[in-house]
Amino acid sequence: MVRRQRRGRLRNHARAYDPAPVTEFAHPEELEQLRAEAARFAAAELAPAARASERNGAWPDHALAVLSKFGLGELDLAEELGGVGAGALAKALLLEALAAGDAGGLPAADPLGPEAGALALCPDRSRARELAALALAGEARSALLVADPDGAGPERLVWAPSRPPLRFVWRSLGPELALFELAAPVEPVRALAFHAAGGVSAPLRGARLVGEWRLPTPESVALRGRARLWSAAVALGVAQAAFDATVAYARERIVFGKPVAHHQGNAFELAVAATNLHGARLLVHDAASSFDRGEAHAGFWASQAWLGAIDAAVVVTDLGVQLLGGHGFLVDHLAEKRFREVRMLALLAGGRDAAEADVADLVLDVPDPLFAGGSAAP
Amino acid sequence: MIPLDPGTRAMVDEVRELGRTYMRPMGLESDRTGDPPPADHPFYLLCSRRGGLVSRVIGEGDGETPESLQWKPLRALLQAEESAYWDRGVALSLPGPGLGGAALRSLATPEQRERFLAPFADHSRAHWGAMALTEPGAGSDVARIQTRAKRDGADWVLSGAKMFCSNGARADWVVVWATVDPALGRDGHRAFVVERGSPGFELLKIEHKMGSRGYETASFALDGVRVPGASLLGGEEAARGRKGFRGAMATFNLTRPLHAAQGIGMGRAAHDHALAFVRAEYPAHGARRRRALERLAEIRRGLATARLICMHAVWLARRQRDNALEASHAKLFAPPMVFRAVAAALDIVGEAGVREDAHLEKLYRDVKILDIGEGTQQVQRLVIARQLLGLPREE
Repeated sequence: MVRRQRRGRLRNHARAYDPAPVTEFAHPEELEQLRAEAARFAAAELAPAARASERNGAWPDHALAVLSKFGLGELDLAEELGGVGAGALAKALLLEALAAGDAGGLPAADPLGPEAGALALCPDRSRARELAALALAGEARSALLVADPDGAGPERLVWAPSRPPLRFVWRSLGPELALFELAAPVEPVRALAFHAAGGVSAPLRGARLVGEWRLPTPESVALRGRARLWSAAVALGVAQAAFDATVAYARERIVFGKPVAHHQGNAFELAVAATNLHGARLLVHDAASSFDRGEAHAGFWASQAWLGAIDAAVVVTDLGVQLLGGHGFLVDHLAEKRFREVRMLALLAGGRDAAEADVADLVLDVPDPLFAGGSAAP
Repeated sequence: MIPLDPGTRAMVDEVRELGRTYMRPMGLESDRTGDPPPADHPFYLLCSRRGGLVSRVIGEGDGETPESLQWKPLRALLQAEESAYWDRGVALSLPGPGLGGAALRSLATPEQRERFLAPFADHSRAHWGAMALTEPGAGSDVARIQTRAKRDGADWVLSGAKMFCSNGARADWVVVWATVDPALGRDGHRAFVVERGSPGFELLKIEHKMGSRGYETASFALDGVRVPGASLLGGEEAARGRKGFRGAMATFNLTRPLHAAQGIGMGRAAHDHALAFVRAEYPAHGARRRRALERLAEIRRGLATARLICMHAVWLARRQRDNALEASHAKLFAPPMVFRAVAAALDIVGEAGVREDAHLEKLYRDVKILDIGEGTQQVQRLVIARQLLGLPREE
């Protein structure tokens, strides 16, 4: 009942939603409410169970039951695909709030996470609807493999969450998009992080090619950008939690006569980290809105935002371990878990090299959003 | 494209045209000669006749409709960015009350505003105002200013030295910060409007700088300068309420994002130079071109982030919300990012970028002051650390 009401509210929001221009920084009330409720849930249910979830390889059932009310998978999915259509910004805010509590089980809890862009842009709409329905029903999921156009790297999906069961792989290779149905059973793998999402790996060799398409470059970058936006939002949540925990510890712990945070060397690093995190968040939210505004270069900005968010989050989570000293290295604190999670987010969807290649490919074509065509100097 | 309202779009176009026609050539000329453009330069008169850099910008006394509240702060940012794109030094030399005007707006009595700001309605010639806070021995730590203010009957007598006073030599008046007693720290601070030609108010020199040469950076001696009691900003009541120092700080919360926005304009100028060079000089493929494109993308990322931080900071201010932290985020983020952007543009252009006629080498010299004026990045780190970490002040 609660879930239906929320979906109704968000649907109404989606219909009335006029994505704000960059000059407006207040989020619509429905989104603020969603974010606040998700943050309360994450703090009360996910965060205290984070270590137990890692051991068990899953978030607790009762937490998943509550989480289902948030419509995580449907939120940004178009109504055509059985989603709510509340937009990419709504999804980013929700992911950020949940990840601040515990990101460990998020990839599994979101049946359509980084793959939402492939579903949105796949030219075969009936196939997209079929895959969306399978994932939302928890029967089968797809995963996105960003392959290197020069052929570097293995032809296999190295890691995907193990729930729902992995059955399809989208391969994004430059402007080409291919969909494979896996033949062999997937292999369980334990990765650097996200243990509460399980983990499987699958070779593409022997998989059945379901379809192949060629997309215009901005669209193929949008497809990958959507995956990066997912990962950037999660990284922001993890990094904010790391920052808050680091500051709390560093203000309490006394070394050489004063709190760790009050030694200027540390204070300065934290101040710069806070500034970079603030900037990255604005960039991620703006890129998400850019998708919601239907802008042609949303993928470029999402990839830029991912690069900014990962840069900021890597520094913050590293400081999170460093300023805790030896404690940071122990699993008694969540600092080391956040440190691992951000590093893993930095490697998924082709990692840094693929993102840099995408923004470099488009940089000559994307006008400055305020000064289209530049000021035509020199 | 970010949808701008027609008025803002027209303003940007107008600044661009004035920048291309006047500001860039004037800036290059100043850079060559080392001297700012003369106060009687026709461009300044043109600006004055229009009532500012452009017609209908964020002028005094505009009505505050919901529409203008939405767009005015954005216009201020875009004006700062676009004018600095063409030449930041010349942009700072434009007629107007300047930083002194910001101090007046936050501190002055209605009578004082009328008295000192009214001359700016005279568009028959250019008028400047200025602010003098920094001293040879007190820069970032403004609480340490030593210029003394002593009561003498109904007047005040000022003695000391000031430097880094922008447009100070051509200003009708300068807002001079002084202390009634250095032992009182910030509580002792007072701001006085000192009019040009006041006996004892002596211009020592116009400083010669590495870059940003398009505006005057004046140093003054104050040798027993007598100012009437009516020139104490806000009167005694404001001073007793400790508004003095807070007034100075409030001034900077308003201007830090604008300062950062100037940096975005300069970074964009460097970006556009490098972009034009890549288009003209780099072959269509190859590792060097790839590296250049990655660098351009990184510059774009930094500029976009800085712009959002600036817009967010002024957005808060216009909603009467405290923005001290966000203004410092803007000022901490933009200047070092822009410095790296100009350096990256130079890397793209290579040796061709260091020729004096290449403009990029000028930007490299111009941009450094952004990280120093209106609070160095070290000061911004302190401000942020005090807010977020409870870092105590060391008085």
